[in-house]
Amino acid sequence: MTTARFDELIHPPTRLAIVSLLAASQWADFTFIRDSVTLSDSALSKQLATLEQAGYVEIRKGFVGKRPRTSARLTPAGRTAFEQHVAALQDMVAGAGLKIVPR
Amino acid sequence: MNEEPRTTDAAQALADIQRRQQQVIDQATIPGWYWWAVGALMVVLAAGVDLRTPVSLGAAIPVFVVGLLSATAVAVSGQFRQARLRNGLLDATGVAAILGFVALIVGGTLGIAFALRAGGIHYPATLACLAGGIAMGLGGPALMRTLRRIMLGNRAGSPR
Repeated sequence: MTTARFDELIHPPTRLAIVSLLAASQWADFTFIRDSVTLSDSALSKQLATLEQAGYVEIRKGFVGKRPRTSARLTPAGRTAFEQHVAALQDMVAGAGLKIVPR
Repeated sequence: MNEEPRTTDAAQALADIQRRQQQVIDQATIPGWYWWAVGALMVVLAAGVDLRTPVSLGAAIPVFVVGLLSATAVAVSGQFRQARLRNGLLDATGVAAILGFVALIVGGTLGIAFALRAGGIHYPATLACLAGGIAMGLGGPALMRTLRRIMLGNRAGSPR
């Protein structure tokens, strides 16, 4: 069972959106994350760098043909932190007797 | 920043987590046209076999192979260009649904083909693959809906 632990690094909306996308992926392309979260290249790079410094995200840079391609994935530590953060949020919501209705 | 969010903020965050993960799941869904394309290619291949001429076989096999590879490449390209789904989203129920679908299509098509052949009907493989192709075209999207429902249930933030 996952231990609940609120993670302040993950919780801000933009980073939470990025980590949530990565949590459902083995890896995700930079442009997919950028377009999904509607961020500029520089803003996304900054957020990914913060997550990478925390050891939550691994960045891969490569080429497809001659075109550069950047992708990202959650590290095991990042996945654990995310799952613990989700558990903390669920505990808070369950404690108040609320239900999540996905949109 | 140092205070934990209020309950409504937590609920909002959980809803957002689920929505973001749904984005990844939805971009990986195989489109409906793919199933009809594979069904049509099955019919082409079976017709080539039923006609029993070198020309028909020589034409049907390349059309089937190239068509299947092209359709598959287009259908799954999103996963390779955008985001590849995490394996854990599809549990044993999902795998069983896929295997069951394949078994139903293959078993049903073969069964119909053998029955038609035993009954002396002309072009048994073509007719059987026509039935199998229609089943695939109708059943493929239903399989995708089932898999999507399973993956949505397995995403983080779903009710524990």
